Amino acid sequence: MNSEQPLHSTQFTPNNPLPQEGLMPDSIATFEPEIIREMDMHIAKFPVKRSALIPLMFIVQRERGGYLDPPGVAFLADKLGIRITDVWEVATFYSMINTEPVGKYHIQVCRTLSCKILGAGAITEHCTKRLGIKPGGTTEDGRFSLSEVECLGSCGTAPMLQIGFDYHENLTIEKLDGILDSLP
Amino acid sequence: MSTELIKVTINGNEYQTEKGARLIDVCREHDHNVPSFCYYSDLALQASCRTCLVRIEKMPKLQTSCTVTCTDGMIVTTESDEIEKARRGMVEFLLANHPLDCPVCDRGGECELQEMVFDWGGLEERFSERKNYAPEKFLSPMIGNDPQRCILCKRCTRVCDEWMGEDAIEAGGRGAHTVIGTYGGWLNCSQCGNCIEVCPTGTLLDATYRHQARPWELEQTVSTCTFCSDGCQVSLGSRAGEVMRSVARDRYVDGINGEFLCIKGRFGHPFINDEQRLRTPLIRYRKGGKLIPATWDQAFEFAANRLKEVADKHGAESVGIVGSPRITNEANYALLKFAKELVGTPNYGATDAFSLVPFFENLSAPLATHKDIRRAQTIILIGGEPEELQPLTGKQIRQAVRNGGAKLIIVNSTPIRLNQAASQFLHINPNTEDAFVLALTDESQAASSMKTLGIEAEQFDAVRKLINDTEGTCIVMFGGELSHAAQVALTGLPAMMAGESRKFLFHPLPIYNNSVGVHDLGLMSGELSARDMVAVAGEGLHAMYVAGSFLPEHLQGQEERLAQLELLIVQELFETETTKYADVVFPAASFAEVDGTFTNNDGLVQRVRQSIAPVHQSRADWMITAGLAKTLGMDFDFQMSASAVFRELAERIPAYNGLRYPQLKDESKPVQVKHQISERRDTSNDMQTLRERVSQMKPDGEKIMTTPNVGHELFKPGTLTSKVPQIHLLAAGNPKPETVLISPLYQITIDSSLRRDEAIAAD
Repeated sequence: MNSEQPLHSTQFTPNNPLPQEGLMPDSIATFEPEIIREMDMHIAKFPVKRSALIPLMFIVQRERGGYLDPPGVAFLADKLGIRITDVWEVATFYSMINTEPVGKYHIQVCRTLSCKILGAGAITEHCTKRLGIKPGGTTEDGRFSLSEVECLGSCGTAPMLQIGFDYHENLTIEKLDGILDSLP
Repeated sequence: MSTELIKVTINGNEYQTEKGARLIDVCREHDHNVPSFCYYSDLALQASCRTCLVRIEKMPKLQTSCTVTCTDGMIVTTESDEIEKARRGMVEFLLANHPLDCPVCDRGGECELQEMVFDWGGLEERFSERKNYAPEKFLSPMIGNDPQRCILCKRCTRVCDEWMGEDAIEAGGRGAHTVIGTYGGWLNCSQCGNCIEVCPTGTLLDATYRHQARPWELEQTVSTCTFCSDGCQVSLGSRAGEVMRSVARDRYVDGINGEFLCIKGRFGHPFINDEQRLRTPLIRYRKGGKLIPATWDQAFEFAANRLKEVADKHGAESVGIVGSPRITNEANYALLKFAKELVGTPNYGATDAFSLVPFFENLSAPLATHKDIRRAQTIILIGGEPEELQPLTGKQIRQAVRNGGAKLIIVNSTPIRLNQAASQFLHINPNTEDAFVLALTDESQAASSMKTLGIEAEQFDAVRKLINDTEGTCIVMFGGELSHAAQVALTGLPAMMAGESRKFLFHPLPIYNNSVGVHDLGLMSGELSARDMVAVAGEGLHAMYVAGSFLPEHLQGQEERLAQLELLIVQELFETETTKYADVVFPAASFAEVDGTFTNNDGLVQRVRQSIAPVHQSRADWMITAGLAKTLGMDFDFQMSASAVFRELAERIPAYNGLRYPQLKDESKPVQVKHQISERRDTSNDMQTLRERVSQMKPDGEKIMTTPNVGHELFKPGTLTSKVPQIHLLAAGNPKPETVLISPLYQITIDSSLRRDEAIAAD
C-alpha cells in the first residue's frame, strides 16, 4: 500500500505550481482505490475541499506507517489543491498528527491538571524507565513511542493515557505494567 | 462601502466618517494614535496582538479597534488608565519570549516593538520563566530568521499569501511554541522579501544586509527602482559613498508600491558599488587593440574627432544614436538633442525589448495607474507575465481579485502562475495573441479565430460577456507578444465596448524602467530601430553612439557586425558584449548616483535622486552627452543641472509640458504625463494587416502545459543582478545547504554548469 510514484513538477500544476525541483518531496504517495474513496467521502462533507484536511491527514497517517511522510504531505497538498506549507502548518499544530516517524504503539500520557494532580508524572516516569526513552522518543525496535500531551478530555478517570486510539484510565503503576505486557 | 456619513465620537471629539469605515483607521486619520502590530491596512484581519484595544461605550469589554467597524453614535475612548494598563499587559505578553537583544539586532532603531516600549517607558517584566530559545538561521539565501524575536503578528504570512499568492511562509507549531517557517525549513518562493519589510521586529532579516550597518548610520534617499517598468519607489540607504540597502519601509518612502518590492528592487542594488564598475574613460586607439584608460578630455577629444571624420566622409545619416530604456529621461533627451540638433541624423533609436510606438500613437484611453488596477472591476491580461516581469502589477492584480472582487481574464499560451487568480483563462496556442485581439475587435472574424487560438467558442463568449457585464473600470494589459497591427487594433476597443458605466484603461507591460519614457521622447520613432542599426552596421551606418548596451535580441549573434563600424562610442556601467567592439567607452553613473526622472508603465513621471556621489570617475549620462557635444562645438546649455535638462525637455516634449522638478517632489502624489488621447481614429489599414497576419497563422506545435518555475525570469542573472552573489544560488535552483545556521553562500559552490548562460544585457 505504501507504493510511490516519482514526482514531476508538472504534477503540481495547477494546484501547486510553486515548489521547484530540489526542495520538493521527491515522490508523491499513491493509495488503493478504496482508500481514495474513503477520502472522497470526507471531502464530500465540506463545502470547501481544503476543510477535509484533518480527516485526510488521519487516513494518510494511518496508511503510511503512523506519520505524515513527505510523499504523504505532497499527496495531501495535491489532492486538496493547497500548498505544502498549509499542510505543514496544520500538521505541526495538532499533537495527534505526527510529522516524525512513531513506534507501533504511540503512548500519549495526559499531563494536564487533573491527571497531573493524580500522578501523571509518576506514570510518565515509569514509562520512561521501563521503555528506556524520554517523552518525544521512540524505542530502538520501533515498538513504542512516548509523548506527553495536553488534556484528552477524560478528567473524571484521571490519570490516563492513550495508546493509538484507545484510552486507558484510572491508571496505577501495576495497571500500566499489565497494559504494556498485554500488547501484542 | 456606502458613502452614507455617520457620526463617531473619539476622545470627546465628534467626527464624520463613512459608514463601514474601520475604527482604527478613523482614529489614526484624526491623530488619535492607536498602536498595533498585527493590523496592516488592506490585509486580512488578525486581531492577535491586541495592542489596539479601545473602550467603546455600552460594550462590556475593551475592543480591538482593528476589527470594529464604525456605527452611528459610537463613543470611543482611545486613551485612559484602563486602556494603557491593558495595552501594557499585552506588550508584556509579547515580550515574554522576546530576547531583548536590540543592540545586536539589525532592526534596532527602526523596530516597531522597540519604539512602543520606548514610547511608554518603564515596562516591567514579571515573567521569571526561562524564555524559548531558537538559534538564528537562514530561510533562503535572501531571508534570515531569528525566531525568538517573533511576536506572532503574522503579517509576513498574510503578505506572502495575499500580495504574492505564494503561501511560502506560514506559522507552524502551536501556542508559545509557534514559529514562522516553512515546510522543510527552506524557502522556495520568489524571494521578494516583503515578509522582511512588513515584519515589525527583527524576526525576518535581510540576509544580504545582515550585520552590515545600523539604520541610523544610513542616509535615506527616496528614489525610483531601476529594474522594471512598474517604477516602485525605494529608499536607498547609503553610508560613506556606498549603497547598503534598498527598502520601501513607509517611514522613509510612501510611493505607489506602499511597502512592496520584489527581489530585484530589494536585493539587486550591489551592482552600484561593484568592483567591476568602469573606472575611467577607455580608448581603443586601433581596431583589435586594447581598451586603454584615458582622461575625460582625451576621450572626448578622440571621440569628437573621429565622429567628425565619419560624418564628413559618409554624411550625417551614417551616424546612429542609440538611447536606452534603462537610463533617465534627461539622459535620453540629451541623446535625442545630440542626434537631431548636433549631428542631424534621422537614425536614432533605443534598445527597448519591443516597440510600443503604434500603441502610443493611437492611444484611445488613459493609462491605468496601479491604484486603478487595485480598484478595477475587470482586468484583461493578454500575453505577458507580470508576476515575473512586473511584480508590482502582479501584486495589484492579485489584490484586486482577492480583496476587490475583480474578474481577471488571462489570455496566454503558458499557464502562468497568476492563473490561480483568473476567472477566465484562455489557454491559446503559442504566438497567437494577435488572433485574440482580432476576435475581440472584429466580430466577423471571431469564429474563424477560434481555431487558430485553439479554444472553444463558449470560452470566448464568456470573456466577451464578462467585459460587457463590467460596471466600472476595465483594464486592458498586454505584453510584448502583440504585433504592431494588433496594438493599433487594441486601441479601438474602448470605442467599441465602453459604455456609460464602463470605462476602459490601458496598461502596457514593457520590460524596462524607462520604456515608456523613451517612447514619450520619440526615441523609438527614429528611422532605424536598434536591431536594424546592428544589421546595417558597416554598410549604411559607419559610426554609432550607444548609451547602455544592445540586448541579445538586437545583436542576434551578429555582434561582429559592430566591428565593421568605423567608430563605436559606448557609455556604460560595466564591460559588456557591446563594449567589446567599442572605440571609446565612457563610464556612466548608475541611477543611484544621478538626479533625473523615470516614466513608469502608469505614465507616472517619478524622480530619481542622487544617493551617493558618482563612483570612480563616472558621470551622469546626460553630462557625458553634453560634454561630447561641447567638444564638437555645441553648448547644450544644461548648466550642469538635471533640472535644467528636464525643464528644456518639458518645453519641447508635448506630453511633459509644464512639468518641473518641484511638482514631482512628493512621491505620494505622482504626476501622470499627458499623453495625447484620440478616441476615434481610422484603423482600417491596420485591421486589414492584422486580418492578413492572423489568416496566415498556423497553429503549430502543441500547447505549453507546464507552469514555469517561480523566478524563471526574476532569478536570471543579468548584467546588473549578476553582481548579487545570492542570485546565482537562486538561478541554480536554490539548493538547500547542509546547515541553515550558516549562509548558503559559504557552503555551496556554484560550478559553471549550474549557471544559466543567458544573461540579459542591460545598461
